[in-house]
Amino acid sequence: MTEHTRFEALVLPHLDAGYNLARWLSGNVNDAEDVVQDASLRALRYVGSLRDGDAKGWFLTIVRHTFYDWCRRNRPTEIVKDDGTAIEMAVDELATDPEQAALRSAESRSLSEAMAELPLVFREVLILRELEELSYKEIARIVDIPVGTVMSRLARARGLLQRSPLLRAIHGRAAGGAR
Amino acid sequence: MICNEAGSLIAAYADGEVDSAQGRSIEQHLRSCAACAAKHQEVLALRARIRAEVPYLQAPSALRERVRALVAQSAAETPRPRPERDRWRWLTGGALAGCAATMLAWVIGTSVVDWRANEDVAVEAVQTHVRATLNDHLIQVASSDQHTVKPWLSARLDYSPPVKDFASEGFTLIGGRVDTLEGQRVATLVYRYRLHTIDVFVRPELAHAPSALRAVRGFNVAHATGSGMDWLAVSDVSADVLSAFVQRVASEAGAR
Repeated sequence: MTEHTRFEALVLPHLDAGYNLARWLSGNVNDAEDVVQDASLRALRYVGSLRDGDAKGWFLTIVRHTFYDWCRRNRPTEIVKDDGTAIEMAVDELATDPEQAALRSAESRSLSEAMAELPLVFREVLILRELEELSYKEIARIVDIPVGTVMSRLARARGLLQRSPLLRAIHGRAAGGAR
Repeated sequence: MICNEAGSLIAAYADGEVDSAQGRSIEQHLRSCAACAAKHQEVLALRARIRAEVPYLQAPSALRERVRALVAQSAAETPRPRPERDRWRWLTGGALAGCAATMLAWVIGTSVVDWRANEDVAVEAVQTHVRATLNDHLIQVASSDQHTVKPWLSARLDYSPPVKDFASEGFTLIGGRVDTLEGQRVATLVYRYRLHTIDVFVRPELAHAPSALRAVRGFNVAHATGSGMDWLAVSDVSADVLSAFVQRVASEAGAR
């Protein structure tokens, strides 16, 4: 099989997954398309070394790498030093002053918007888990972190979402209603 | 089971990531502990909402067509170089499992994202250096003559790396090879310094330069720019020697 036909057979079926990830990481359509295009060319170059097993994980890894390369060039501030810094940033953004929080809540931000505002490190594991429905092990491989870190980042991601003002309101209602 | 113990497992349980024995004891705990049961419900509720409200974004058909066209074009135009088979193997597990485990062990213990992002190229460079050393294909063109090494490299790359011997300072050029770094084919110059081997990866100057000096798995990685190129040296020589050497090469290699 030539590289071209291998690409069509193994990688192209996962273009949606690649696009979904790129779109959620970059936050907009144009950047996502650039990233996917670039990632596809990289994938073509290495498709000869891809074994049939996990083409999706393999391609998502490339998409993620391509995105981070892009991000380093275009939005270096989004790449934060560590999980702790990411948390601080998120707390700042989500709930610095109550007035703003109330405003945001009044704007009734959707769950999508709340997810889009999560710091990158937490957003990516949540997308891979809840939208791609990948296992901890698969996520660990793609993000290149230990499984324990996948777990702690997922917990943070979920915690931050639940603390975002709009969601808190909804959770409050749901909990109240259930009782 | 006590809450402390169950706490960290609730999410894993909700994610279907615990074994059946653990699952049973968590189920039991959830029946008797309202706090943990609520926590479990929260994860499930959030998941249900995400799946219901957050769109899974599909690639626009125009993008799909563009990618197909690009790939067809790119595949037709360039005679592909031999795929760098080792590069991805560690990601898919298997053949280089040992190496991957070592790399993973190194990665464990840090979750510093930009630190690691900056390290990617340093790690890759060290991996490449180690692989070349272990597999004994350190050198594809063996020569201490810069006028032999340079044309050999230029013929295999889309740029022409400056090559200079520094034997008078104790750094003897012993040859070169072509490697892959960050998906690009790069020239690697191999020097001998006392009992040490130094790999110097040379590529056209980058917009984002990696950080100056790192240690990775006991190897030092030093970086410099100069002569219009980006120079990354990997070796087990001491950091100060390596750093001084790469600076020297970067500033003087281009000079006649």
